[in-house]
Amino acid sequence: MLAYIVKRLLIMIVMLLLVATMIFLMFRTMPGDPTASMVDPSIPREARQALLERYGLHESLWTQYRIFMRDLVQLDFGNSYFYNRTVLRVIGDRLPATLILMLTAMLFAYTFGILWGAWMAWNRGSRLESVGVTFSLIFRSAPTFWVGLMAIMLFSVTLGWFPAQGMRTTGYVGDSFAEVFLNRDFVRHLILPAFVAGLYFLATPLLIMRNSMLEVMSEDYIEMARAKGLRDRSVLYKHAARNALLPVVTAGALFIGAAIGGQVLIEVVFSWPGLGREIVQAVTRSDYPLAQGIFIIISALVMFMNLVADILYAFLDPRIAYR
Amino acid sequence: MLEVQNLSIEYTTEDGVLKAVDDVSFNLQRGESLGIVGESGCGKTTVAKALLRLLPENGAISGGRVLFHGENLVGKSPDHMRRIRHSKIALVSQSAMNSLNPVYTVGHQIREGILAHSNIGRHAAHARCVEVFGMVGLEEKRLSSYPHQLSGGMKQRAIIAMALSLEPDIIVADEPTTALDVVVQGRILQRIRAIQRQISTSMIFITHDISVVSEICERIIVMYGGKIMEQADSASFFRAPYHPYSLGLQNAFPSITDITGEELVSIPGTPPNLMQEQPGCRFQERCPFATSQCRSRTPPLVKVKSNHHAACWYTDQVNDFRTRARNRDTWEAVRTRIEQQETPQQ
Ligand SMILES: Nc1ncnc2c1ncn2[C@@H]1O[C@H](COP(=O)(O)OP(=O)(O)O)[C@@H](O)[C@H]1O
Ligand SMILES: [Mg+2]
Repeated sequence: MLAYIVKRLLIMIVMLLLVATMIFLMFRTMPGDPTASMVDPSIPREARQALLERYGLHESLWTQYRIFMRDLVQLDFGNSYFYNRTVLRVIGDRLPATLILMLTAMLFAYTFGILWGAWMAWNRGSRLESVGVTFSLIFRSAPTFWVGLMAIMLFSVTLGWFPAQGMRTTGYVGDSFAEVFLNRDFVRHLILPAFVAGLYFLATPLLIMRNSMLEVMSEDYIEMARAKGLRDRSVLYKHAARNALLPVVTAGALFIGAAIGGQVLIEVVFSWPGLGREIVQAVTRSDYPLAQGIFIIISALVMFMNLVADILYAFLDPRIAYR
Repeated sequence: MLEVQNLSIEYTTEDGVLKAVDDVSFNLQRGESLGIVGESGCGKTTVAKALLRLLPENGAISGGRVLFHGENLVGKSPDHMRRIRHSKIALVSQSAMNSLNPVYTVGHQIREGILAHSNIGRHAAHARCVEVFGMVGLEEKRLSSYPHQLSGGMKQRAIIAMALSLEPDIIVADEPTTALDVVVQGRILQRIRAIQRQISTSMIFITHDISVVSEICERIIVMYGGKIMEQADSASFFRAPYHPYSLGLQNAFPSITDITGEELVSIPGTPPNLMQEQPGCRFQERCPFATSQCRSRTPPLVKVKSNHHAACWYTDQVNDFRTRARNRDTWEAVRTRIEQQETPQQ
């Protein structure tokens, strides 16, 4: 198992270098000139040239790539043009906000999706089953930003239960992690975006769990569990749901990549100061180093979550032996 | 101990109601071993599941009673049934290969069954697991194996161990060895028989292979199309069966007595469609000796000897039937008859 994890991590590094190369090329071939957004185009030519040289943008693509990769392996993503700070610091500031929002939403979606999906299959043909399917599909198909805006309108504007924007009330400044994230103000801000993101994520675990349960319930070992005189609850959760979980984990791993897209929209709608919103801004500002850095971090995140899902799978299914 | 009276079971399907079991009655004494035989689809599994009230959702007991220690199990609450399952009536199901949950160890699954019915504590439960594993000849260390780490024969023995774990009054074994190869099958059958005698539990042994019954059962029921065709003490049955279907079954399975001395003769034709309520004997279409009486009126189960009943109008002509049933041509004639009936309709 350990050898397997090491192997996977090594593969992940190679993959990341490939991803980095692709991202590097993508940004250089994109239309637009980063200097335009950084330096007022009306300043003297010489001054602009000096700035280009300072950022190394006058070098050939190959040289730029070599420097980029050399820095990258030392975990140096360079400086953000816009913030004039190292990319790593900017990412470090934004990452916790994204992770907290995303994991809260996922936790919400997977807990409800799995329990409800299992229940739906168990009570096949009931009203709540069709309600569940329709409900989850509506929130999967509806544009996330629209759902977000509707939620803001209802819960923030009309009902006034939750703040509509950001991560903390204006004027609040916290220094340590605990001061920023571990307080009621933050939780109040978190609920609405996490709820909307959770609704978007919900369909995947819910529907897969339901289908997978229906399949598992016709297995012979479920009948055997009944024949053993186990209580319905044991048969449902210990035997049926436990096995039905396996495809949910697999699908969950694949879904993580897709979830990032939804996450970006949620962050923009709720002005959530996370990586998703930052990347949109970095791209519009042609802040190459920052955008590159965020892309690479997100790729690493997705790959890492996939690895976690695979390891989780091995723990859930004793038939899997990783080598 | 167990009295099944006029049990009828129906499945509701998209095409209509299917009468899988029709008016089946039998008794089971303490320590007795009863074999139920018949071709696939004759309702054996349905009877077994009905005893435990484990019929699938579309199946229902439409009539009759199942008296267990004098109590009618039909109509008992789900919780009452839950407590009887496994602890009083244990099931060794048809597909032992897939009857173990792949994500739990075998030991866990046996212990779980024990703990669902008694509060003896994990330690004692484990000790009991070791004990029953010993009875079926599995090593103690196998308790911590996952199902996929065991061979088919071991899995089957683990399932049998599971059924023994609470010393049930009745073990219902539904084709427990069909998925195994012949050598393993033989070994497991011997073991089942030995254990059943040793702990004097009763057993209902279901199989499509009539030769298996001769080896391990004291009494036998032959089913066809959801009805009992013949019911007898094994000794009496295997010496001299009465029903034409039983005669045909004997030909189809070799090891009992070498009747023809030639190759096996299977009964031509297929089991009846249970959707259509047909008058007369269920077997008449495939019976070499069928008459117009057989086609119009259903024969009742009549006593032919002490402890021997058969559902045939012509039990008095059985000597003649036996002689003719040994002849291949008798059955070939049935084949021709069936083919002729089918062709004009096409
Ligand atoms: N769930 C079900 N729904 C509809 N028909 C069924 C169902 N289960 C079994 N049957 C039908 O009932 C009859 C008896 O089946 P079964 O008891 O499994 O026979 P056996 O165990 O003797 O092979 C068959 O005709 C089969 O097709
Ligand atoms: Mg069967």
